[in-house]
Amino acid sequence: MRPDLCLENAGRRYGLRGPWVLRGVDLTVSPGRLVRVEGANGSGKSTLLRLLAGIDAPSEGRITGRPRTAYVPERFPPALPFTAVGYLTHLGTVHGLTRTGAARAAAEWLERLGAAAYADTPMARLSKGSSQKVAVAQALLGEPELLVLDEAWTGLDTDARAALERAVAERTTAGGSVVFVDHDPRRLAGLPDAMYTVRDGSLVERAVPGPSPSGPQVTVEVQGPPDARLPDAVRRTVTSAEETAPGSHRLTVAAPHSDVLLRALLTARPPWHVVSVARQADAPGSRR
Amino acid sequence: MTALLRYHAALLLRSQRWLPPFLLYAAFLAVSVQAGQPVLDSLGYTAAALLPVAAWLARICVTAEPQAARGCVAAAVGPARAHVACLLVALSGAAALGTVATLGVTLLSAPVASDHRTPVPLAPACGAGLLAALVCALLGTAVGALTSRPLLRSRGRAVLALLLAALLSLVATGSPAQAAVQGLVTGSRSGTVPLPLLPLAAAALVTAAALALAGALAARRST
Repeated sequence: MRPDLCLENAGRRYGLRGPWVLRGVDLTVSPGRLVRVEGANGSGKSTLLRLLAGIDAPSEGRITGRPRTAYVPERFPPALPFTAVGYLTHLGTVHGLTRTGAARAAAEWLERLGAAAYADTPMARLSKGSSQKVAVAQALLGEPELLVLDEAWTGLDTDARAALERAVAERTTAGGSVVFVDHDPRRLAGLPDAMYTVRDGSLVERAVPGPSPSGPQVTVEVQGPPDARLPDAVRRTVTSAEETAPGSHRLTVAAPHSDVLLRALLTARPPWHVVSVARQADAPGSRR
Repeated sequence: MTALLRYHAALLLRSQRWLPPFLLYAAFLAVSVQAGQPVLDSLGYTAAALLPVAAWLARICVTAEPQAARGCVAAAVGPARAHVACLLVALSGAAALGTVATLGVTLLSAPVASDHRTPVPLAPACGAGLLAALVCALLGTAVGALTSRPLLRSRGRAVLALLLAALLSLVATGSPAQAAVQGLVTGSRSGTVPLPLLPLAAAALVTAAALALAGALAARRST
């Protein structure tokens, strides 16, 4: 098991005598955790994320337990002299993949994010949304142990936003940590393990609302051996589970986790039978 | 590290920003080096002119990548390694340019000393020229590394500092580049081929220290 990433009394200021942007930050990010960071514009959220991603070093305090990290910036510049797939292949090898592995992962992630058509387009000609997809793909293709998302959803279309939410669910299920900032309070609603607010240069932990079904949910009806317990991987993923008849269960899961749940069910030993999958009626205004 | 070097090399090559310093270098050599001149004199010019070109190339490499893209790479490999890798690419580019120029100039020049009578063997002269060019490429990269991000972030000040530092490293006594170039010039007067190993060692040390400093500051003084 890799160690936690720890910020100990970390602070950051720009310049030797600049004002402190962040100070006295203690934060632990354990493997498999999803952490949400909030705060007003200019409050130091991005500075905190850059410390977590290892791009900036703290001016005081220290950071220990650096995992393999990937970072998605808020605005991604298209001013790079590569095609989308060319850039991603380079970044894949920088993340430690082989060249063929990187090219394959690049094509796969562009397809998952709905940008396969732009694979051979020069970055300079990509739209803002498409270059944001490249930025997201760049971070995901190395299967990082820590994924840092600075408003990564901004500029993505609806399908790509949902795909990124599912990718986050996949990362945390696989034991990776994800730290994200997003201005939409419905983003990954009900899923974060910890929430923090950056205010006046310091970090305040907020109570996490229990595993309430606050985001869009999916209902999955499954059937297993008559007196079998639900597999642990399934129990960890679902928001609620009830046994409707011996061996039959009705599971509710946050929409981003639905693929993870189905994978856990179908790859369990012995595998569970999936009877039906249905989207629950969406809460008002939470269209995916 | 190989992947990182390949990425920065591709970034430099495809951006075509290497073209102006290369063209300037070619133009300078075309004006100052003529066929049939004493070989060591010409190689002295070739090496000396490489220093500001190497510094310019280092500046180009360091500033080529947009900040957000730099962040993505820095998260993956750490800001220090990312920064040192792009300076190493600049150094390789300058060294390659210097090698080609030295070989070309050697072929064009006459195998004689300044008096046009004492013979100077071409092969050792070429070797000395290559070493001197390497000294200037190393020192130029160090100058470029120390006069751009993350040490100097204001563009005007950085360019001015780069020009001054490049000039100083060429003329100030005690600078390895000055020693290497001076060695070629005096060698041409006396008809002996110098072996600038001491300047090379000094330049390698200075450059390693400059790259280490720039790399270490990359995380502390970003943006």
